Amino acid sequence: MRHEKFLTVLAAGAMVLWAGLGTAHHSDAMFDRDTTLELSGTVKEFQFTNPHTWLQVMVPNEQGEEVEWSLEWGSPNQLGRQGIRPSTFPAGSKVVVRTNPMRDGTPGGAFIGAMLADGKTVGRWD
Amino acid sequence: MTKQIPRSVIPALCLALALPISAYAAESTLPDWSGVWAMEGGTVFDQATKTGEGGTTTPGVREHPPYNAEYEARYQRNLALRDQGILPDPNSLCGIPTGFPRIFNLPDVYEFAVTPKQVWVIAENGPNVMRIYTDGRDHPPPEDRWPTHTGDSVGHWEGETLVFTTVSLHSSESGRTLVDRTGLILSEAAHATTRMGINAQGQMEVEMTIEDPLALTAPWVVVKRFNRLEPGTRAYDYACNENNRNPIDEETGWTYTIGPDGRIMDKLEGQ
Repeated sequence: MRHEKFLTVLAAGAMVLWAGLGTAHHSDAMFDRDTTLELSGTVKEFQFTNPHTWLQVMVPNEQGEEVEWSLEWGSPNQLGRQGIRPSTFPAGSKVVVRTNPMRDGTPGGAFIGAMLADGKTVGRWD
Repeated sequence: MTKQIPRSVIPALCLALALPISAYAAESTLPDWSGVWAMEGGTVFDQATKTGEGGTTTPGVREHPPYNAEYEARYQRNLALRDQGILPDPNSLCGIPTGFPRIFNLPDVYEFAVTPKQVWVIAENGPNVMRIYTDGRDHPPPEDRWPTHTGDSVGHWEGETLVFTTVSLHSSESGRTLVDRTGLILSEAAHATTRMGINAQGQMEVEMTIEDPLALTAPWVVVKRFNRLEPGTRAYDYACNENNRNPIDEETGWTYTIGPDGRIMDKLEGQ
């Protein structure tokens, strides 16, 4: 379901999934690393840029309004060496994303992994 | 028919022949540090003295340099800010060089470029470059140098080990540099002797002996190791300001996140 009320707290307080932002650039204090959310939505844009890549995903909220989530991942350099490309997340594609969310509840977080509509997984998905 | 070489040109001929040979001989003794390398372990600078579980931003994690009481107190103040997530890191500003010794403590990849007269440490992250002169020069006299992020480094080869000294570094008190994100600091009196070369495991091993009469009670020896990546691995541009969505609040030290509309998304708790 693509709805915020169906966001799944997979393992609050217990399971830490950290895909590794390669956070030499900034502190990760804004992320709740003890919580993992699973979001279903539509890719708006994959910003394949330094110092971090950002996956922008449109996710419906409880009122059915589309909310844009900003999910931060590693540098394009790191990810490029691991086979990730600007085309990995085509705009308009359906995606399920796991994230360590922002502590203050704003729609963003640290990217952990994703599953695309064809079942292909990206990042950590275990 | 044979031609005799005039005696007068023999010295010049010998010199002409000898020069390329000696130049080649000098270059051929230089080690092969080609390829792309990545640091082993996380960005806790001194893994050997680390206590606590986690990385640099995990509360409770710290290192134990031989700090004097004053610098231990300063480090503890930084650790407290780190625990609150409000220790400002100059690295986050983009465009501020990491400096030495942190240049040997970065994620992403490295290249170590060996030439007959200089060695360049090229860190993709930042990007950062450190120049080490091996042409026999000494450090400039004190009146002709000033603090910089990577300082002034001169060195020589001992076999395939590069040995160099580094002076004229920015003090961490300037706010321009940290040694790592736990809040490790050094004073403007810091200087170091570094030995780097490939160890028996094929890793680039960098042993830094840091002395700092204002901050340390004894030399602080830290070893960082780097693994050579697969042949053909590429390093890329690291344009830090290309899309930096994490500015730092100058007053609080909190790292904000910029939303898709260009505005700050989050706030420091209590604001």
